[in-house]
Amino acid sequence: MTPEFILGCIILIIGVIAAGFPREKTYLSRLINLEIPAFGLLLIMLAYDEMLALMTFIAVTAISTFVLMRVIERKEAAR
Amino acid sequence: MIAIYVVAAIAVFAVIRATIERNTGRKLPYVNVMNFAVAGAVVLLLDHPLALAAAAAYFVGSTLEANAVASTYAGGERRG
Amino acid sequence: MDEILVLLFAAVALIGALGTYLQRDPFNKLIAIGITYGGVLPFIIDRGYLDVAIVVSLIIPISTIIILPLMRRDLRDT
Repeated sequence: MTPEFILGCIILIIGVIAAGFPREKTYLSRLINLEIPAFGLLLIMLAYDEMLALMTFIAVTAISTFVLMRVIERKEAAR
Repeated sequence: MIAIYVVAAIAVFAVIRATIERNTGRKLPYVNVMNFAVAGAVVLLLDHPLALAAAAAYFVGSTLEANAVASTYAGGERRG
Repeated sequence: MDEILVLLFAAVALIGALGTYLQRDPFNKLIAIGITYGGVLPFIIDRGYLDVAIVVSLIIPISTIIILPLMRRDLRDT
């Protein structure tokens, strides 16, 4: 039980609650809240010394943010 | 030895001050204070030549982020 | 990294995460994401993964800047 693991679990739980039940139910609010569990999972991967997983996860998070941004833009333009 | 504790305490103070501030424009200087403090703590934490590069990368990245947020905030408000 | 530093940087990361959840304005949420990133980075450095720290600190601001155009359009509409 390293401090990274405990802090990562706390941040992951906060982030899951924030992404599932945001205070303002807009797409933008959910997209920004989705960054918090990414940090929590990063800390948990750090506690298990998975360096390659860490780098891949960070890159995929950025790409999926880009894809979700395009989807939300399309959705808001159609409305 | 005491320098890193002072720097970390400054970071916590700046974060608390930035969180309780209501005005968005006044939040950004305190976030900048936290960025400087964390960049200093990164250098003091580990005795390794690459720590300097990591601190420089963090400094460049966080300054770019804060400036982009400030620029969008100011531009959006004026246009709207 | 001893207990005092762990507590201080964990406090920074937790205040950032809770602040992101509790704020309502999107700009305040993005600023709080930046605070969380500042609290998480010293833990990566302390483990000795300096190359991971360099990659993280170059990619996270890019993913913040990706979100920014959505917000400008949002502000212009209201």
